[in-house]
Amino acid sequence: MQAEDYHDTVRPGLIAMLPRLKRFADVLVGARDEGKGLLGRALRCMLAEQHRYQRGTAIDVWAFGEVYRHWLHELRDHDDPMARAKIDDARFGELFYPEGDGYFDAPVIAFLGALPPQQRLTLLLVYGDGFEHEDAARILDVSPETIAARLVRISASLADRLSARAPAPAAAIVETLYPEGLRGSL
Amino acid sequence: MTELSDELLVAYVDGQLARKQTRAVEKVLEQDDVLAARLDALKHAHARLEAAFEAILAGEEMDVSAVPVPQDDGLHISWRAVKLTLAVLGIGAALAAAAAGYGWPVSLPGLGSETELEVRPPNPTAAAKDWHEEAARAHALLSRQTLEVGLESQANYDFVAFQLAQILGANPKLPNLEPQGFRFVRAQALRFGDQPLTQILYLGRQGGPLALYAKKGEGDGSAMLSQGQVDEVRTVAWSEDGISYLLAGDIDDTLLMRIATRVKLEPAPPLRTAPKPQTPVNRALGKES
Repeated sequence: MQAEDYHDTVRPGLIAMLPRLKRFADVLVGARDEGKGLLGRALRCMLAEQHRYQRGTAIDVWAFGEVYRHWLHELRDHDDPMARAKIDDARFGELFYPEGDGYFDAPVIAFLGALPPQQRLTLLLVYGDGFEHEDAARILDVSPETIAARLVRISASLADRLSARAPAPAAAIVETLYPEGLRGSL
Repeated sequence: MTELSDELLVAYVDGQLARKQTRAVEKVLEQDDVLAARLDALKHAHARLEAAFEAILAGEEMDVSAVPVPQDDGLHISWRAVKLTLAVLGIGAALAAAAAGYGWPVSLPGLGSETELEVRPPNPTAAAKDWHEEAARAHALLSRQTLEVGLESQANYDFVAFQLAQILGANPKLPNLEPQGFRFVRAQALRFGDQPLTQILYLGRQGGPLALYAKKGEGDGSAMLSQGQVDEVRTVAWSEDGISYLLAGDIDDTLLMRIATRVKLEPAPPLRTAPKPQTPVNRALGKES
């Protein structure tokens, strides 16, 4: 494969998926600015080493995997990787509020923010980007079974949390102390 | 209550089960309200996750669109003339299908009445256009061969590939997009001026058709994938092995780019020879080998 061929496939492919790659980086690091920085550094590496892209690999699988590997690489070089992997809840929440958009789902945002990065990415790749389990596994360098297991565990946990009844106000609790037939006569 | 694990239910929600398993789960769900409620909870959780991720993407798209991207040759729109006619190709394909006797009901009760059109214009932009002109442009893509390719041959993949190669005078790809969720429906010959143009049509589980067009010659095309959009139709174009390709559909542009990348990375098809006619003798010989 000629160098020009790599350029032909890689560069326009990356440009086309910039918003998705940016979302991936944002969800990974938990903040818009840091996501932008990570993506910028990862893109420079990808373009500089695009010969590593193998013909036959879906370009999005390759690119998402490169961003993830870049993040891992930087994390390992950090003095305190565990602290660096933690995210700020408020800044993470800002990812979900683009200007002019009415979206607000605090329980889901809090749930996602509390997950480890790899688990957040698993959800994003499968439910946000529509990757097959095998492709998500390639990106995150785990087995497809791990992806499936994570999805079950996280989905079940979120479903439990969302379907749990909100704590009832005190007045309502008092009301339930009375037999059904007496309600309304008090 | 029947025991169905969350593992099975999540796999069901995600469409990861085989058809038999899916049917078995559905049978159980019909009879078990508790499990049905659990399934609803899982579906609800998934829907809210998808909405959350969509919200982030909406913000990213605004950010990216606000950044002026240098217009180098990696982003130019090639094969422009054909793309412009794509805006009306949906009508063209429908006309062809209707002429061939299937796919699109030509006359529906009440269709076209002024009242209905005023109440529910299908698309305000399209409605404002002169449909005569649009239809004429779509018609210009139809050739005699469009109608001469027998529909009965469409089930024979090898025969379709051979016919396309014969029509085009080159060996175009006839990709299988089943893994991407699009099944092959039909292929047909069109024309662009006096040059043959082939159209391979696919359908996903929902939405409009996805079409892969091929025309002999590099034209003004580039080996690079270049995106474009004409009204609701999104396109990705590229050239390879002496053939210009255009993938078009009213689908998400990232999905379209992903499919185009896969088609482009697919190895060139082998040289096609005429498939053996499906006679009883050939079928018997085929079984023996």
